[in-house]
Amino acid sequence: MNKQKVSLWQLFWTFFKTGAFTFGGGLAMISILEEQLVAKKKWMTSQEMLDMIVIAESTPGVIAVNSATHVGYKLRGIAGALLATLGIVLPSFLLMIGLYFVVDAFQGNVWYNAFFAGIQCCVVALIANAFVKMSKLVQWNALSIAMFAISFVVSTATNFNVIFLILIGALVGIVATFVQGKKQQLPIDNALDQKQGGAQ
Amino acid sequence: MSFLLLFWEYFQIGLFTIGGGYAMIPMVQQMVQKHGWLTQAELLNFMGIAESTPGPFSINLATFVGMKVGMAELGVFGGVLGATIATVGVVLPSLVVIVVVTKILNKFMQNKWVKGALNGIRPVVVALILSAVVSVVLEVILPNFSVKQTVAKLLQTIGLPSDQFQQQWQGFAEQSFGEFNWVSLLLVCVISPFAFVKIGNKKINPVFLILASGVLGLLVFGVFGVQQ
Repeated sequence: MNKQKVSLWQLFWTFFKTGAFTFGGGLAMISILEEQLVAKKKWMTSQEMLDMIVIAESTPGVIAVNSATHVGYKLRGIAGALLATLGIVLPSFLLMIGLYFVVDAFQGNVWYNAFFAGIQCCVVALIANAFVKMSKLVQWNALSIAMFAISFVVSTATNFNVIFLILIGALVGIVATFVQGKKQQLPIDNALDQKQGGAQ
Repeated sequence: MSFLLLFWEYFQIGLFTIGGGYAMIPMVQQMVQKHGWLTQAELLNFMGIAESTPGPFSINLATFVGMKVGMAELGVFGGVLGATIATVGVVLPSLVVIVVVTKILNKFMQNKWVKGALNGIRPVVVALILSAVVSVVLEVILPNFSVKQTVAKLLQTIGLPSDQFQQQWQGFAEQSFGEFNWVSLLLVCVISPFAFVKIGNKKINPVFLILASGVLGLLVFGVFGVQQ
Protein backbone atom coordinates (compact mmCIF):
# COMPACT_ATOMS: atom_id res chain seq x y z
CA MET A 1 0.00 0.00 0.00
CA ASN A 2 1.40 3.38 -0.95
CA LYS A 3 0.39 5.50 1.99
CA GLN A 4 2.24 8.57 0.81
CA LYS A 5 0.59 8.73 -2.57
CA VAL A 6 -2.91 9.35 -1.33
CA SER A 7 -3.46 13.06 -0.90
CA LEU A 8 -6.08 14.40 1.46
CA TRP A 9 -7.86 15.98 -1.47
CA GLN A 10 -7.99 12.65 -3.33
CA LEU A 11 -9.35 11.01 -0.23
CA PHE A 12 -12.04 13.64 0.21
CA TRP A 13 -12.99 13.66 -3.45
CA THR A 14 -13.22 9.86 -3.72
CA PHE A 15 -15.60 9.64 -0.79
CA PHE A 16 -17.52 12.71 -1.92
CA LYS A 17 -18.22 11.01 -5.26
CA THR A 18 -19.13 7.79 -3.49
CA GLY A 19 -21.56 9.65 -1.26
CA ALA A 20 -23.06 11.52 -4.18
CA PHE A 21 -23.66 8.56 -6.44
CA THR A 22 -24.61 5.60 -4.30
CA PHE A 23 -28.16 4.80 -3.47
CA GLY A 24 -29.31 2.26 -0.96
CA GLY A 25 -27.19 2.84 2.11
CA GLY A 26 -24.10 1.29 3.61
CA LEU A 27 -24.14 -2.22 2.24
CA ALA A 28 -24.60 -1.01 -1.33
CA MET A 29 -21.82 1.48 -0.78
CA ILE A 30 -19.39 -1.22 0.29
CA SER A 31 -19.40 -2.87 -3.11
CA ILE A 32 -18.69 0.48 -4.76
CA LEU A 33 -15.88 1.24 -2.30
CA GLU A 34 -14.38 -2.14 -3.02
CA GLU A 35 -14.29 -1.43 -6.73
CA GLN A 36 -12.85 2.04 -6.16
CA LEU A 37 -10.35 1.45 -3.37
CA VAL A 38 -9.15 -2.08 -4.07
CA ALA A 39 -9.55 -2.70 -7.78
CA LYS A 40 -9.09 0.75 -9.28
CA LYS A 41 -6.98 2.89 -6.98
CA LYS A 42 -5.26 0.04 -5.13
CA TRP A 43 -5.27 1.98 -1.87
CA MET A 44 -6.17 -1.15 0.06
CA THR A 45 -5.88 -4.93 -0.24
CA SER A 46 -8.91 -7.23 -0.23
CA GLN A 47 -8.00 -8.35 3.27
CA GLU A 48 -7.96 -4.76 4.48
CA MET A 49 -11.32 -4.27 2.81
CA LEU A 50 -12.68 -7.22 4.74
CA ASP A 51 -11.38 -5.71 7.99
CA MET A 52 -13.11 -2.51 7.04
CA ILE A 53 -16.45 -4.27 6.59
CA VAL A 54 -16.18 -6.09 9.91
CA ILE A 55 -15.28 -2.89 11.74
CA ALA A 56 -17.92 -0.79 10.01
CA GLU A 57 -20.62 -3.31 10.85
CA SER A 58 -19.63 -3.99 14.41
CA THR A 59 -19.01 -0.49 15.70
CA PRO A 60 -21.72 2.05 16.45
CA GLY A 61 -23.00 4.34 13.73
CA VAL A 62 -23.76 4.38 10.05
CA ILE A 63 -21.95 1.68 8.06
CA ALA A 64 -21.03 3.92 5.12
CA VAL A 65 -19.68 6.65 7.38
CA ASN A 66 -17.76 4.17 9.50
CA SER A 67 -16.14 2.73 6.38
CA ALA A 68 -15.05 6.19 5.26
CA THR A 69 -13.65 7.11 8.68
CA HIS A 70 -11.74 3.84 8.90
CA VAL A 71 -10.20 4.12 5.43
CA GLY A 72 -9.36 7.78 5.94
CA TYR A 73 -7.67 7.10 9.24
CA LYS A 74 -5.74 4.15 7.88
CA LEU A 75 -4.41 6.09 4.91
CA ARG A 76 -3.83 9.56 6.38
CA GLY A 77 -4.41 9.55 10.14
CA ILE A 78 -6.81 11.89 11.91
CA ALA A 79 -6.92 14.46 9.09
CA GLY A 80 -7.71 11.64 6.66
CA ALA A 81 -10.48 10.32 8.92
CA LEU A 82 -12.05 13.77 9.16
CA LEU A 83 -11.87 14.52 5.43
CA ALA A 84 -13.11 11.10 4.30
CA THR A 85 -16.04 11.40 6.73
CA LEU A 86 -16.80 14.92 5.56
CA GLY A 87 -16.60 13.70 1.97
CA ILE A 88 -19.13 10.93 2.41
CA VAL A 89 -21.57 13.06 4.43
CA LEU A 90 -21.43 16.34 2.52
CA PRO A 91 -23.33 15.35 -0.66
CA SER A 92 -26.28 13.98 1.34
CA PHE A 93 -26.24 16.98 3.59
CA LEU A 94 -26.33 19.57 0.79
CA LEU A 95 -28.82 17.64 -1.28
CA MET A 96 -31.23 17.08 1.59
CA ILE A 97 -31.17 20.73 2.64
CA GLY A 98 -32.06 21.73 -0.91
CA LEU A 99 -34.71 19.06 -1.17
CA TYR A 100 -36.29 20.08 2.09
CA PHE A 101 -37.49 23.36 0.59
CA VAL A 102 -39.00 21.57 -2.38
CA VAL A 103 -40.82 19.14 -0.11
CA ASP A 104 -41.92 21.93 2.20
CA ALA A 105 -43.37 23.91 -0.70
CA PHE A 106 -45.52 21.01 -1.85
CA GLN A 107 -46.65 19.69 1.50
CA GLY A 108 -50.43 19.48 1.76
CA ASN A 109 -50.81 19.40 -2.01
CA VAL A 110 -53.19 16.61 -3.12
CA TRP A 111 -50.73 15.20 -5.65
CA TYR A 112 -47.88 15.36 -3.19
CA ASN A 113 -49.95 13.39 -0.69
CA ALA A 114 -50.92 10.80 -3.28
CA PHE A 115 -47.31 10.41 -4.43
CA PHE A 116 -46.06 9.93 -0.88
CA ALA A 117 -48.90 7.62 0.07
CA GLY A 118 -47.54 5.31 -2.62
CA ILE A 119 -43.95 5.76 -1.44
CA GLN A 120 -44.90 4.96 2.16
CA CYS A 121 -46.13 1.55 1.04
CA CYS A 122 -42.75 0.95 -0.58
CA VAL A 123 -40.76 2.07 2.48
CA VAL A 124 -42.55 -0.66 4.42
CA ALA A 125 -41.29 -3.24 1.96
CA LEU A 126 -37.73 -1.90 1.98
CA ILE A 127 -37.45 -1.96 5.76
CA ALA A 128 -38.82 -5.51 5.75
CA ASN A 129 -36.10 -6.32 3.24
CA ALA A 130 -33.45 -4.86 5.56
CA PHE A 131 -34.84 -7.02 8.34
CA VAL A 132 -34.40 -10.17 6.25
CA LYS A 133 -30.85 -9.15 5.29
CA MET A 134 -29.83 -8.38 8.86
CA SER A 135 -31.37 -11.53 10.29
CA LYS A 136 -28.95 -13.58 8.19
CA LEU A 137 -26.03 -12.10 10.15
CA VAL A 138 -27.29 -13.52 13.45
CA GLN A 139 -26.05 -16.79 14.88
CA TRP A 140 -29.44 -18.31 15.59
CA ASN A 141 -29.63 -20.50 18.68
CA ALA A 142 -31.93 -20.81 21.69
CA LEU A 143 -30.38 -17.80 23.42
CA SER A 144 -30.39 -15.46 20.44
CA ILE A 145 -33.95 -16.45 19.53
CA ALA A 146 -35.08 -15.73 23.08
CA MET A 147 -33.34 -12.36 23.05
CA PHE A 148 -34.82 -11.57 19.69
CA ALA A 149 -38.33 -12.42 20.89
CA ILE A 150 -38.05 -10.47 24.15
CA SER A 151 -36.54 -7.42 22.45
CA PHE A 152 -39.24 -7.47 19.80
CA VAL A 153 -42.09 -7.63 22.30
CA VAL A 154 -40.58 -4.97 24.57
CA SER A 155 -39.76 -2.53 21.79
CA THR A 156 -43.10 -2.99 20.04
CA ALA A 157 -45.42 -2.96 23.05
CA THR A 158 -43.74 -0.63 25.55
CA ASN A 159 -41.94 2.70 25.64
CA PHE A 160 -38.85 1.10 27.17
CA ASN A 161 -35.75 2.93 25.89
CA VAL A 162 -34.25 0.84 23.10
CA ILE A 163 -30.72 1.90 24.10
CA PHE A 164 -31.10 -0.19 27.25
CA LEU A 165 -32.21 -3.15 25.16
CA ILE A 166 -28.98 -2.92 23.18
CA LEU A 167 -26.90 -2.63 26.36
CA ILE A 168 -28.70 -5.63 27.86
CA GLY A 169 -27.98 -7.55 24.66
CA ALA A 170 -24.28 -6.77 24.93
CA LEU A 171 -24.27 -7.83 28.57
CA VAL A 172 -26.03 -11.12 27.86
CA GLY A 173 -23.57 -11.79 25.04
CA ILE A 174 -20.62 -11.19 27.36
CA VAL A 175 -22.09 -13.42 30.08
CA ALA A 176 -22.76 -16.13 27.50
CA THR A 177 -19.12 -15.91 26.37
CA PHE A 178 -18.02 -16.24 29.99
CA VAL A 179 -20.21 -19.30 30.56
CA GLN A 180 -18.98 -20.83 27.35
CA GLY A 181 -15.38 -20.16 28.29
CA LYS A 182 -15.96 -22.15 31.45
CA LYS A 183 -17.09 -25.05 29.30
CA GLN A 184 -13.82 -24.77 27.36
CA GLN A 185 -15.43 -24.58 23.98
CA LEU A 186 -15.99 -21.64 21.71
CA PRO A 187 -17.87 -22.83 18.66
CA ILE A 188 -19.59 -19.45 18.33
CA ASP A 189 -16.30 -17.69 17.73
CA ASN A 190 -15.39 -19.96 14.87
CA ALA A 191 -18.81 -19.67 13.37
CA LEU A 192 -18.63 -15.90 13.66
CA ASP A 193 -15.26 -15.80 11.95
CA GLN A 194 -16.65 -17.77 9.05
CA LYS A 195 -19.71 -15.60 8.94
CA GLN A 196 -17.70 -12.42 8.84
CA GLY A 197 -15.48 -13.86 6.19
CA GLY A 198 -18.58 -14.56 4.16
CA ALA A 199 -20.33 -11.29 4.94
CA GLN A 200 -18.70 -9.69 1.99
CA MET B 1 -32.95 24.50 23.58
CA SER B 2 -34.21 22.26 20.81
CA PHE B 3 -30.76 22.41 19.25
CA LEU B 4 -28.98 21.05 22.31
CA LEU B 5 -31.62 18.35 22.65
CA LEU B 6 -31.33 17.51 18.98
CA PHE B 7 -27.58 17.12 19.27
CA TRP B 8 -27.80 15.01 22.39
CA GLU B 9 -30.51 12.75 20.98
CA TYR B 10 -28.66 12.18 17.72
CA PHE B 11 -25.39 11.67 19.56
CA GLN B 12 -27.03 8.88 21.54
CA ILE B 13 -28.52 7.38 18.40
CA GLY B 14 -25.10 7.44 16.74
CA LEU B 15 -23.48 5.91 19.78
CA PHE B 16 -25.92 3.09 20.38
CA THR B 17 -26.88 1.80 16.95
CA ILE B 18 -24.84 -1.03 15.66
CA GLY B 19 -25.57 -2.51 12.28
CA GLY B 20 -26.24 0.60 10.25
CA GLY B 21 -28.98 3.00 9.39
CA TYR B 22 -32.05 0.81 9.55
CA ALA B 23 -31.28 -0.11 13.12
CA MET B 24 -31.66 3.58 13.93
CA ILE B 25 -35.30 3.76 12.86
CA PRO B 26 -36.87 2.70 16.18
CA MET B 27 -34.74 5.23 18.04
CA VAL B 28 -35.59 8.02 15.62
CA GLN B 29 -39.27 7.10 15.99
CA GLN B 30 -39.01 7.25 19.75
CA MET B 31 -37.14 10.55 19.60
CA VAL B 32 -39.53 12.48 17.36
CA GLN B 33 -42.49 11.17 19.31
CA LYS B 34 -41.03 12.06 22.68
CA HIS B 35 -40.33 15.67 21.69
CA GLY B 36 -43.27 16.08 19.33
CA TRP B 37 -40.93 17.12 16.52
CA LEU B 38 -42.58 15.18 13.71
CA THR B 39 -45.66 13.02 13.28
CA GLN B 40 -45.01 9.38 12.43
CA ALA B 41 -46.55 10.00 9.00
CA GLU B 42 -44.12 12.86 8.34
CA LEU B 43 -41.23 10.68 9.44
CA LEU B 44 -42.39 7.99 7.04
CA ASN B 45 -42.39 10.53 4.19
CA PHE B 46 -38.89 11.59 5.17
CA MET B 47 -37.77 7.97 5.16
CA GLY B 48 -39.11 7.61 1.63
CA ILE B 49 -37.10 10.63 0.52
CA ALA B 50 -33.98 9.53 2.42
CA GLU B 51 -34.23 6.15 0.75
CA SER B 52 -34.62 7.50 -2.76
CA THR B 53 -31.80 10.05 -2.67
CA PRO B 54 -28.09 9.25 -2.87
CA GLY B 55 -25.98 8.92 0.25
CA PRO B 56 -26.34 6.99 3.48
CA PHE B 57 -29.99 6.61 4.46
CA SER B 58 -29.59 7.66 8.08
CA ILE B 59 -27.49 10.73 7.26
CA ASN B 60 -30.15 11.85 4.81
CA LEU B 61 -32.80 11.26 7.45
CA ALA B 62 -30.82 13.10 10.14
CA THR B 63 -30.33 16.11 7.88
CA PHE B 64 -34.03 16.21 7.14
CA VAL B 65 -35.16 15.81 10.73
CA GLY B 66 -32.64 18.49 11.76
CA MET B 67 -34.00 20.84 9.08
CA LYS B 68 -37.54 20.37 10.31
CA VAL B 69 -36.72 20.88 13.98
CA GLY B 70 -34.50 23.90 13.31
CA MET B 71 -36.94 25.57 10.88
CA ALA B 72 -39.64 25.47 13.53
CA GLU B 73 -37.32 27.31 15.89
CA LEU B 74 -35.37 29.83 13.82
CA GLY B 75 -36.49 29.72 10.20
CA VAL B 76 -34.12 28.87 7.36
CA PHE B 77 -30.98 29.66 9.33
CA GLY B 78 -32.24 27.47 12.15
CA GLY B 79 -33.01 24.72 9.65
CA VAL B 80 -29.47 24.62 8.31
CA LEU B 81 -28.14 24.82 11.86
CA GLY B 82 -30.42 21.98 12.95
CA ALA B 83 -29.39 19.86 9.97
CA THR B 84 -25.73 20.45 10.79
CA ILE B 85 -26.21 19.65 14.45
CA ALA B 86 -28.14 16.43 13.80
CA THR B 87 -25.61 15.23 11.23
CA VAL B 88 -22.58 16.04 13.36
CA GLY B 89 -24.30 14.46 16.34
CA VAL B 90 -24.93 11.18 14.59
CA VAL B 91 -21.44 10.99 13.04
CA LEU B 92 -19.33 12.12 16.00
CA PRO B 93 -19.50 9.01 18.20
CA SER B 94 -18.53 6.66 15.41
CA LEU B 95 -15.73 9.00 14.31
CA VAL B 96 -14.12 8.67 17.71
CA VAL B 97 -14.85 4.96 18.10
CA ILE B 98 -13.55 4.08 14.64
CA VAL B 99 -10.28 5.94 15.10
CA VAL B 100 -9.67 4.14 18.40
CA VAL B 101 -10.72 0.76 17.04
CA THR B 102 -8.60 1.10 13.91
CA LYS B 103 -5.60 1.82 16.11
CA ILE B 104 -6.06 -1.36 18.09
CA LEU B 105 -7.73 -3.27 15.28
CA ASN B 106 -6.45 -6.77 15.71
CA LYS B 107 -6.67 -6.89 19.45
CA PHE B 108 -10.18 -5.46 19.31
CA MET B 109 -11.63 -7.81 16.75
CA GLN B 110 -9.99 -10.90 18.21
CA ASN B 111 -11.17 -10.09 21.69
CA LYS B 112 -13.68 -12.74 22.68
CA TRP B 113 -15.58 -10.35 24.94
CA VAL B 114 -16.10 -7.95 22.06
CA LYS B 115 -17.27 -10.84 19.92
CA GLY B 116 -19.56 -12.01 22.69
CA ALA B 117 -21.09 -8.56 23.10
CA LEU B 118 -21.66 -8.29 19.35
CA ASN B 119 -23.27 -11.73 19.31
CA GLY B 120 -25.64 -10.51 22.00
CA ILE B 121 -26.42 -7.21 20.28
CA ARG B 122 -27.22 -8.63 16.83
CA PRO B 123 -30.51 -10.41 17.72
CA VAL B 124 -31.64 -7.27 19.56
CA VAL B 125 -30.89 -5.08 16.55
CA VAL B 126 -32.77 -7.45 14.26
CA ALA B 127 -35.73 -7.39 16.66
CA LEU B 128 -35.65 -3.57 16.63
CA ILE B 129 -35.83 -3.54 12.86
CA LEU B 130 -38.77 -5.95 12.90
CA SER B 131 -40.43 -3.70 15.42
CA ALA B 132 -39.88 -0.80 13.00
CA VAL B 133 -41.50 -2.88 10.24
CA VAL B 134 -44.57 -3.46 12.43
CA SER B 135 -44.89 0.20 13.32
CA VAL B 136 -44.56 1.47 9.76
CA VAL B 137 -47.04 -1.14 8.50
CA LEU B 138 -49.53 0.01 11.14
CA GLU B 139 -48.88 3.67 10.36
CA VAL B 140 -49.72 3.03 6.72
CA ILE B 141 -52.70 0.73 7.18
CA LEU B 142 -54.20 1.55 10.59
CA PRO B 143 -52.94 5.04 11.40
CA ASN B 144 -54.95 5.41 14.62
CA PHE B 145 -53.99 2.06 16.09
CA SER B 146 -51.06 1.91 18.50
CA VAL B 147 -49.75 -1.33 19.97
CA LYS B 148 -48.28 0.55 22.91
CA GLN B 149 -51.51 2.35 23.74
CA THR B 150 -53.47 -0.86 23.40
CA VAL B 151 -51.17 -2.69 25.78
CA ALA B 152 -51.28 0.20 28.24
CA LYS B 153 -55.09 0.21 28.03
CA LEU B 154 -55.18 -3.52 28.58
CA LEU B 155 -53.05 -3.22 31.72
CA GLN B 156 -55.28 -0.42 32.99
CA THR B 157 -58.57 -2.18 32.46
CA ILE B 158 -57.71 -5.80 33.11
CA GLY B 159 -59.03 -5.80 36.69
CA LEU B 160 -62.33 -4.04 35.95
CA PRO B 161 -65.75 -5.75 36.07
CA SER B 162 -66.89 -6.92 32.67
CA ASP B 163 -69.50 -4.24 31.96
CA GLN B 164 -67.05 -1.43 32.66
CA PHE B 165 -64.36 -3.27 30.77
CA GLN B 166 -66.58 -3.48 27.73
CA GLN B 167 -67.57 0.14 27.96
CA GLN B 168 -63.94 1.25 28.17
CA TRP B 169 -62.93 -0.77 25.17
CA GLN B 170 -65.81 0.03 22.88
CA GLY B 171 -64.82 3.63 22.28
CA PHE B 172 -61.16 2.74 22.16
CA ALA B 173 -61.67 0.07 19.52
CA GLU B 174 -63.84 2.37 17.43
CA GLN B 175 -61.14 4.99 17.51
CA SER B 176 -58.26 2.59 16.91
CA PHE B 177 -59.79 0.75 13.99
CA GLY B 178 -61.88 3.65 12.69
CA GLU B 179 -59.48 4.39 9.89
CA PHE B 180 -58.49 1.35 7.90
CA ASN B 181 -56.60 2.06 4.68
CA TRP B 182 -57.39 -1.06 2.73
CA VAL B 183 -56.03 0.48 -0.47
CA SER B 184 -52.65 1.01 1.19
CA LEU B 185 -52.74 -2.56 2.43
CA LEU B 186 -53.33 -3.66 -1.14
CA LEU B 187 -50.47 -1.50 -2.39
CA VAL B 188 -48.10 -2.90 0.25
CA CYS B 189 -49.03 -6.40 -0.88
CA VAL B 190 -48.47 -5.49 -4.54
CA ILE B 191 -45.17 -3.66 -4.00
CA SER B 192 -43.52 -5.87 -1.36
CA PRO B 193 -42.67 -8.84 -3.59
CA PHE B 194 -40.68 -6.53 -5.88
CA ALA B 195 -38.44 -5.54 -2.97
CA PHE B 196 -37.44 -9.17 -2.53
CA VAL B 197 -37.27 -10.74 -5.98
CA LYS B 198 -34.14 -10.84 -8.04
CA ILE B 199 -34.15 -10.33 -11.76
CA GLY B 200 -31.25 -12.23 -13.21
CA ASN B 201 -28.72 -11.82 -10.46
CA LYS B 202 -29.73 -8.40 -9.25
CA LYS B 203 -32.32 -6.99 -6.93
CA ILE B 204 -34.55 -4.29 -8.34
CA ASN B 205 -33.01 -0.89 -7.65
CA PRO B 206 -34.80 0.55 -4.59
CA VAL B 207 -34.74 4.04 -6.07
CA PHE B 208 -36.67 2.80 -9.06
CA LEU B 209 -39.04 0.91 -6.78
CA ILE B 210 -39.71 4.02 -4.68
CA LEU B 211 -40.35 6.20 -7.71
CA ALA B 212 -42.61 3.54 -9.25
CA SER B 213 -44.53 3.32 -5.98
CA GLY B 214 -44.91 7.08 -5.96
CA VAL B 215 -46.34 6.99 -9.46
CA LEU B 216 -48.63 4.15 -8.42
CA GLY B 217 -49.76 6.32 -5.50
CA LEU B 218 -50.39 9.24 -7.87
CA LEU B 219 -52.53 7.00 -10.07
CA VAL B 220 -54.50 5.27 -7.34
CA PHE B 221 -55.00 8.12 -4.88
CA GLY B 222 -54.71 11.06 -7.26
CA VAL B 223 -56.06 10.20 -10.69
CA PHE B 224 -58.68 7.68 -9.62
CA GLY B 225 -59.30 9.58 -6.41
CA VAL B 226 -59.52 6.51 -4.21
CA GLN B 227 -60.08 7.54 -0.60
CA GLN B 228 -56.91 7.31 1.40
